[in-house]
Amino acid sequence: MTQAEIKLCSLLLQEHFGEIVEKIGVHLIRTGSQPIRVIVHDTRTSLDQVKKALCVLIQHNLVIYQVHRRGMVEYEAQCSRVLRMLRYPRYIYTAKTLYNDTGELIVEELLLNGKMTMSALVKKVADRLTETMEDGKTMDYAEVSCTFVRLADTHFVQRCPLVHATENSDPGPPPPAPTLVINEKDMFLVPKLSLIGKGKRRRSSEDDATGEPKAKRPKHTTDNKEPIPDDGIYWQANLDRFHQHFRDQAIVSAVANRMDQTSSEIVRTMLRMSEVTTPSSAPFTQPLSSNEIFRSLPVGYNISKQVLDQYLTLLADDPLEFVGKSGDSGGGMYIINLHKALGSLATASLESVVQERFGSRCARIFRLVLQKKHLEQKQVEDFAMIPAKEAKDMLYKMLSENFISLQVTNNVIIINQQSWTRVRETPEEIPKTPDHAPSRTFYLYTVNILSAARMLLHRCYKSIANLIERRQFETKENKRLLEKSQRVEAIIASMQATGAEAAQLQEIEEMITAPERQQLETLKHNVNKLDASEIQVDETIFLLESYIESTMKRQ
Amino acid sequence: MAALRAERASPAVESVRDCRSLESGSFLSLPTFRLLFCPSLEALVLSEQNLPTFLVQLVAMAGNKGRGRAAYTFNIEAVGFNRGEKLPDVVLKPPPLFPDTDYKPVPLKTGEGEDYMLALKQELRETVKRMPYFIETPEEKEDIERYSKRYMKVYKEEWIPDWRRLPREMMPKKKYKKAGSKSKKVDNTSKDTSLTNTADVLKKIEELEKRGDGEKSDEENEEKEGSKEKNKEGDEDEEDDAVEQEEYDEEEHEEENDYINSYFDNGEDFGADSDDNMDEATY
Repeated sequence: MTQAEIKLCSLLLQEHFGEIVEKIGVHLIRTGSQPIRVIVHDTRTSLDQVKKALCVLIQHNLVIYQVHRRGMVEYEAQCSRVLRMLRYPRYIYTAKTLYNDTGELIVEELLLNGKMTMSALVKKVADRLTETMEDGKTMDYAEVSCTFVRLADTHFVQRCPLVHATENSDPGPPPPAPTLVINEKDMFLVPKLSLIGKGKRRRSSEDDATGEPKAKRPKHTTDNKEPIPDDGIYWQANLDRFHQHFRDQAIVSAVANRMDQTSSEIVRTMLRMSEVTTPSSAPFTQPLSSNEIFRSLPVGYNISKQVLDQYLTLLADDPLEFVGKSGDSGGGMYIINLHKALGSLATASLESVVQERFGSRCARIFRLVLQKKHLEQKQVEDFAMIPAKEAKDMLYKMLSENFISLQVTNNVIIINQQSWTRVRETPEEIPKTPDHAPSRTFYLYTVNILSAARMLLHRCYKSIANLIERRQFETKENKRLLEKSQRVEAIIASMQATGAEAAQLQEIEEMITAPERQQLETLKHNVNKLDASEIQVDETIFLLESYIESTMKRQ
Repeated sequence: MAALRAERASPAVESVRDCRSLESGSFLSLPTFRLLFCPSLEALVLSEQNLPTFLVQLVAMAGNKGRGRAAYTFNIEAVGFNRGEKLPDVVLKPPPLFPDTDYKPVPLKTGEGEDYMLALKQELRETVKRMPYFIETPEEKEDIERYSKRYMKVYKEEWIPDWRRLPREMMPKKKYKKAGSKSKKVDNTSKDTSLTNTADVLKKIEELEKRGDGEKSDEENEEKEGSKEKNKEGDEDEEDDAVEQEEYDEEEHEEENDYINSYFDNGEDFGADSDDNMDEATY
């Protein structure tokens, strides 16, 4: 865990759960797993508050616990899960694009509450939907649970591990912590519930004057005391599935940019077909025959089998190797090389970062080194066709920023003149002198994509932390003004409700002076920009993380 | 102390640290050059331990051959400096907080999706503050209570964690017992009185909703008749005592455990401890 990540975790926890939870969470991230007593002692927080904070963190799946020997319970923070909080808006938006408002609200509630039972979730979402609808209309529970079932079927939501039921006959004291078991089979199994009812509108106090709805409310609260049918079965958002979706989208849009819309549609179809059959971490999708792909193409997409085959051959021949051919049976078997695709995407973002930071000439050098694998300084200057002095300057700049690395070797390398790559290295070639005598040493420039991606990822974390801090600073600076505008807005709203005259309203509106209004505008603009940057830096983070993860798995 | 020193490290030490971050790949990076040409290299090195060994070697070499250009163990022309050319200046201060950039950043992506996500993000930020999971720090009392503050308070709905899923020690024992009895009581009272006086009870419930758990049961107690109340209080006192006794026992027990743990030191703890110290030192 780097400092930048811890800093970011701290800011995120503080924004979501307040300072106490942040203190406990960051302490756990720094120190690893710890029993409660040590946490209390080290953070100098009261036992009660530590307990509360841990409850919150466990509820949100940010902390897990484990029973140690001697019956001690140790708590461990899930740092990478904490960082996922950055992506919440994106998860919610994805749910909206796939499953409309109902899906959006289901995922939003799950993320806000960490975990929920299906019945509670359906009720809450139906209530919220009803509130946004016109008067007289309500949302049916059945409709919401239908969307929920679809989300579970496509694995976007999953069950939390169940509490392992212990037999009552078990003698001795109960265990200090429940054991949670994951039942692979039932991960996405929706309990059979007969949720009948409609979403209820939260009444404002004036509505209660009739007395009739008032009588209903307590009934509703007592309803809750009845045994819940799916008691103990909690659901959470399946973030890995969301990531798989993001990855697929990135691949599809990359293909669309590189080739055309039709080929991207073909790749999309292939990815959709293998969604269920391929685990999200696999390097390749399952082989699909061109006949299968043809049958699964979306209706209304009119391309003949021949054209499809041509497209597939074209895709397989592409040097980026997004699509590969794995066999000839069934009209040709095709796979999507997910690992390669992520690698290409990560490399492309590295290239564009270099281009935007150091200019196009540096980008040329960077691409050159990337392509030729190893290059000496003189070769860089020659191949890039940039004056030696400038080339040196650029090379050193990128070297000091860790985009390019330097390999110092005094191995005798036989170089194939055509490709400039190392072809052979036999034991005899190991130098007799182990020193780095300059005359016998080669300084080779290379791009280590993995370490460059790690470095860039680290910078992304840092920049998001900076963005959040800047946003908090901007808001704090203008706190008084913000409060004032909130108050004025509240007054205007209440006056409008009582039917005040336009002149009166205007008078109140003028309580905020023109310069103040301007200041508010600037603030809003700045905060929007900072927020948007946060979201977009997170996209890069996602790409780099997926690449690093998939590369680490292959090694 | 160590943490303090690291935090206020002199700029020169900063550049040493730069080097350390590079130690994995290369040792001919620019910061290394800066170091090489730093006039007080020995002093600099002494202030920071754990220097990569190559630096120490360089220092030793410099010491042997005397300072100056002749000290390099390699041909500086190989890295692009001609004979007699001016070498880059020594950097003795940390990089600026807001450095000038040669290239302006590209504008952010805009579009329907981006706008929606932005709105979602800002809404989410407000919503989490109203969730019961947001634990506020007990703020210190201000001298003058601002009138507006009373209205700015948000009432959060209560959240009762599912204790079955949490370790037993999480459970606030006292509260849990009360909560159990309370829910029963609420049921009873509401059933009993709902026929006779609906409005009253409703008011009561509404009031109760706004208050904390502890107060609730107190209220309930007040509702009961005298004799019952006494009984109840007695019960609760006993309960409290029992709980206290239990907690005390547990504490003693755990203390014992702690002792045993530390006595039979298997060496793991030591490692962990030293890790901790290291962590602290880097801040």
